[in-house]
Amino acid sequence: MITVNLEPDGAVIELHRTRSVIAALNKLKLRSTMAIVVRDGELLTADRSLKPGDTIMVRKVTSAG
Amino acid sequence: MKCTRCKKLACVSLPSHHSGFCKDCYPLFFTRQVETAIRREKMFTHDERILVALSGGKDSLALMLELKLQGYDVTGLHIDLGIPNSSDKARAKVETFCDSHELELQVLEMEKQGLPIPDIKKHINRPVCAVCGKIKRHHFNRIAREGGFDALATGHNLDDEVARLFANTLRWDTAYLSDQGPNLPAAEGFVRKVKPLFRLSEFETANYAFLKGIEIHSDPCPYASGASFTHHKELWGELEFRSPGQKFQFYHGFLKRGKQAFAAMERESGVELFPCEECGSPTSAGLCSVCRIKETVRESKAKDEASQG
Ligand code: SF4
Ligand SMILES: [Zn+2]
Ligand SMILES: [Zn+2]
Repeated sequence: MITVNLEPDGAVIELHRTRSVIAALNKLKLRSTMAIVVRDGELLTADRSLKPGDTIMVRKVTSAG
Repeated sequence: MKCTRCKKLACVSLPSHHSGFCKDCYPLFFTRQVETAIRREKMFTHDERILVALSGGKDSLALMLELKLQGYDVTGLHIDLGIPNSSDKARAKVETFCDSHELELQVLEMEKQGLPIPDIKKHINRPVCAVCGKIKRHHFNRIAREGGFDALATGHNLDDEVARLFANTLRWDTAYLSDQGPNLPAAEGFVRKVKPLFRLSEFETANYAFLKGIEIHSDPCPYASGASFTHHKELWGELEFRSPGQKFQFYHGFLKRGKQAFAAMERESGVELFPCEECGSPTSAGLCSVCRIKETVRESKAKDEASQG
């Protein structure tokens, strides 16, 4: 299981059977250039793999206005 | 994915540039894009003084830092709008940032100008954001002129520019379409306005901000509605995904091939401008629109007080 902290919404989402950043983004209905993904302070590209127990921060980049 | 430049593990992938970068090389990519924007659009030189509009958002702070790192003579200007539970946070963020990077900063308080934004909301019967935007542009221009700055720089990125161009194209707003772009030359009463981040997407700016330790989150203004631009940005996000580079082509194509036609049209119907009787800002009437708004707020407040007393 992967834990996602979705920003700026502030939502915490649990994803099952998700083995890569691109899979996580797909489940969140986001394209890879619509959000930055961070694990342990490190930016991840969409092709990076995730392992069970990972916590990632997904921050959508579109600012209002 | 490997870094296009040094072959280490990449942390940012950029489909529109067919490349990816590691955390050390990415800021170099960003710097190149800003340098190219400044050079190709002839925005400003190292001998000129630049006023940078700092809202507190990631884009304006990233711009300020990057221009400073490139050795430009930059001064930040933040406008404290006087909105409870919002403006103080934005201001503190800008002040902390400028302190920690030894950046020159000026703050203008709308409260002291007799025109805090909550008063606009209460006393002016128009969408508050339209008036607020007008007031901010007015003061940025005024302070740039009074301070003898050569140019006013804002943190608008490619997504901002494309979303706005798209909205105005949907309406065929010819006045807007005639007078838009990353470098608007100085004109009677108006300082030169430049957008050095116009080649960079919101995603690219967010990555730079993250790597430079700029807090990406900013609390939205409590008056923001923000709906239509956000929608357009989402549509464009999808278009860009299907054909990477589309955003830049749309904007660049407009600058190269669309804008002149609209500018020629507008020249025939242009209005003459005079200095405002009160503040000297350019206007077509005696008092500029911001001075008129100020007057209306003052009258409306006086009326309220009279009816209470
Ligand atoms: S959201 Fe509207 S009122 Fe708030 S700062 Fe922006 S323009 Fe002004
Ligand atoms: Zn590298
Ligand atoms: Zn005036």
